[in-house]
Amino acid sequence: MPHLVETKLEVPSGYRSSVPARYVWQLDDQTRRLFEALEGATAEELAWQPAPGNNTIGMLLAHLAIAEAHMAAVGVEGRADSDVPGTIGITVDDDGLPLPEDGAPPAVLEGKDLAWFRARVDQARAETVRIAREVTDADLSRRIVRPPRPDGGQRAFNVEWMLYHLVEHFCGHSGQILMLRHLYRVRQPA
Amino acid sequence: MATEERFTLTVPTGYACPEAAFIIAQLDDQSALLLEAVRDITPEELEWQPGRGMNSIGMLLAHNAIVEVVWSQAAAGEPVDTARILGLDAFEGDGMPLPPDAEPPAHLAGKPFAYYVDLLERARAFARDHAQRITAADLDTIRTRTRRNGQRQEFSVRWVLYHMLEHFAGHHGQMLLLRHQYAARRVNV
Repeated sequence: MPHLVETKLEVPSGYRSSVPARYVWQLDDQTRRLFEALEGATAEELAWQPAPGNNTIGMLLAHLAIAEAHMAAVGVEGRADSDVPGTIGITVDDDGLPLPEDGAPPAVLEGKDLAWFRARVDQARAETVRIAREVTDADLSRRIVRPPRPDGGQRAFNVEWMLYHLVEHFCGHSGQILMLRHLYRVRQPA
Repeated sequence: MATEERFTLTVPTGYACPEAAFIIAQLDDQSALLLEAVRDITPEELEWQPGRGMNSIGMLLAHNAIVEVVWSQAAAGEPVDTARILGLDAFEGDGMPLPPDAEPPAHLAGKPFAYYVDLLERARAFARDHAQRITAADLDTIRTRTRRNGQRQEFSVRWVLYHMLEHFAGHHGQMLLLRHQYAARRVNV
């Protein structure tokens, strides 16, 4: 029977500016929808590669948590460096990205179930919320220049760009995770 | 020589409210990144499927263009008519959802990258024109539409703006994954 689906963007309270509040709502909406779509995914599916060297769903979930924990710290709060292990319990390298050609998923993710990945994402999000609550309208245009990378190159951005980047980065990998679920369902036995 | 990469969004002028302007700037950023990532794509790759019944990059590009027009019209309370803007029907134009074991729709066969760039540009021009007229007061306006399956949807204009961005970005990610798979063509499906 047809039913009503209502979709509104509710700006959460407790923020100094409605702008970061909206971005956090968007991240939470993406997270809710992603994990709804992943219901029933087994540890085997989370570790499945379409081919050697390809990312797994688990790697992408770990990457989402790592990237958010790092980017919120350095790109929104403006800290010199992040503390990813202290925030989510794994290191910045534990997603295994980028895998070498013909590489296998990192051993640290082996056997991890969906709840484990959800906990990493939730821990990263809690820190993002803490940081975003303190962002003011004036902060949004604050320019941040990161220290030089090993090749000497530098990245510069402002706080609102980073908030946008957090959302679009999550969305892009979320789309890939949905596609990997589809590929897993239709896979042929090796 | 090391270069400094700058990541900024220039909020365009000419909009009735900054929130709508910012979403269009974000969509333009997504388009620039996507088109740069696929600029050398061939018609063969645009039609390639990792398995029968799965979307091709060409289908996803057409889908992104169609959806942008659909939601712009929905946010404005206009009837959906993508054929007039894109020459593609809102329901059949992208071939989605494909039946199991189906190939991409015949009307997209052989289309070059330039065809899809034109679709995306026309969709964006339409979305931009509509977004420029959205006021701050419009953002909480509730609109409704009925989907093909009879499901009735209620949504706010602000949600539509967010959805246009997250929808584009999600399929953008899928297209990058498809490019990777096409290059490897070792997918075990």
